[in-house]
Amino acid sequence: MNLLLIIHLMLQLFAAFLCSSMFSIILHTPLKQCKFAGISGTAGWFVYSICINHGLSNTVAPFFATMALTWLCRIFSFVRKEPITSFLLTSIFPIVPGAGIYYTGYYFFMGQDNICAAKALETIKIAIAIALGIGIVLSLPKFLFTLKRVK
Amino acid sequence: MEGNSCSSIQLAFQMGEALLANGSEIFRAQETMEIVAASFNVEEFNTYVLTNGIFVNGVENGIEYRTKIKHIKTVKIHIGRISALNQLSREICEGRCSIEEAFERIEKIKELPYVKLITALLCCGVASASTCIIFGGSLMDAAATSICGFFLEFLLYLFDKSKTSGYFTYLISSSIVSTLGILLFAAGLGNDLDKIIIGSIIRLVPGYALTTSIRDFLNRDFLSGTIRMIDAFLLGGCIGMGIGVVIKIFSMILGGVFLI
Repeated sequence: MNLLLIIHLMLQLFAAFLCSSMFSIILHTPLKQCKFAGISGTAGWFVYSICINHGLSNTVAPFFATMALTWLCRIFSFVRKEPITSFLLTSIFPIVPGAGIYYTGYYFFMGQDNICAAKALETIKIAIAIALGIGIVLSLPKFLFTLKRVK
Repeated sequence: MEGNSCSSIQLAFQMGEALLANGSEIFRAQETMEIVAASFNVEEFNTYVLTNGIFVNGVENGIEYRTKIKHIKTVKIHIGRISALNQLSREICEGRCSIEEAFERIEKIKELPYVKLITALLCCGVASASTCIIFGGSLMDAAATSICGFFLEFLLYLFDKSKTSGYFTYLISSSIVSTLGILLFAAGLGNDLDKIIIGSIIRLVPGYALTTSIRDFLNRDFLSGTIRMIDAFLLGGCIGMGIGVVIKIFSMILGGVFLI
């Protein structure tokens, strides 16, 4: 039982890695940087799974996940001398509420107003949580990310 | 502005324009323009950047540049170009790049190639399949999804070549891809139609745009945030509608088996 759970988690993490790195190839990131986007995407999804498993709601979990992955992205952007967008844009792909937007549109069209409103609210909440997570980490002071103090 | 093609305001303007057209954030474009202008000692430089336009005002060598406006209609994300422009602005800031050189570099950056079609197709297939697994689909669902993703990227390529307008592209390609997904599902590949459809259209869905719009709000770029948010919800509506129509038609023909 436990082993199955671990295998399932591993599969999901691998999928998150593939998702982030493949999308960064599609969006024309230089090939050398793609694996770093993949790594931070995996870290984000790892934190997300842990949060969900510990019973956090699906709006709080993206917040922590985004903070973790933005932290990694900032470190990568200092190490690789790249703008943070190169990593951040694709590594939040697994967490971003894309499915929520689609459901909102779908139920809007299907005339099921209650579900549509609920989905729209959830989508906005997740988007705000992610944006806050990114904003907080981006406004932290630089020395936390440059790795130069640890010698 | 032909006579002043070597001015540094022109340079800053072009860099901002290139950044915005390739999908950078508002504040990055604004900061880059200000940094470039400051490192060439422009006496006065004011800029206001929106999601789809740039306004610039400045004084250089005693000549006043009234207003330069550029409307940027289509954004096509190209991270490689953003990264190259970032590198260029860093070199300008350190004084290692003259104005003429910088103009040549910008022209080169604008010519940076897109990923080869076949690579993009394969990547989109794999990415869609892995998204399906992330959302809890089985391996068989992922197999069906990867076929849909492969096909979707090809459709997007065709629409891009024929310069079809954005919303129409989203409407049509989402309905074609969901038809394909339903056919694969009916043929016995995969066991959760909902997961297959989400995985297939994840390439289209504007989740990142919505998040960026909230980030713009948090940066107090209210106008840019509003533009992006309306765009994201319209696109989402188009996708939902495209898929909804297909599912309604199929469930009318076959009885409500396919309703999610």
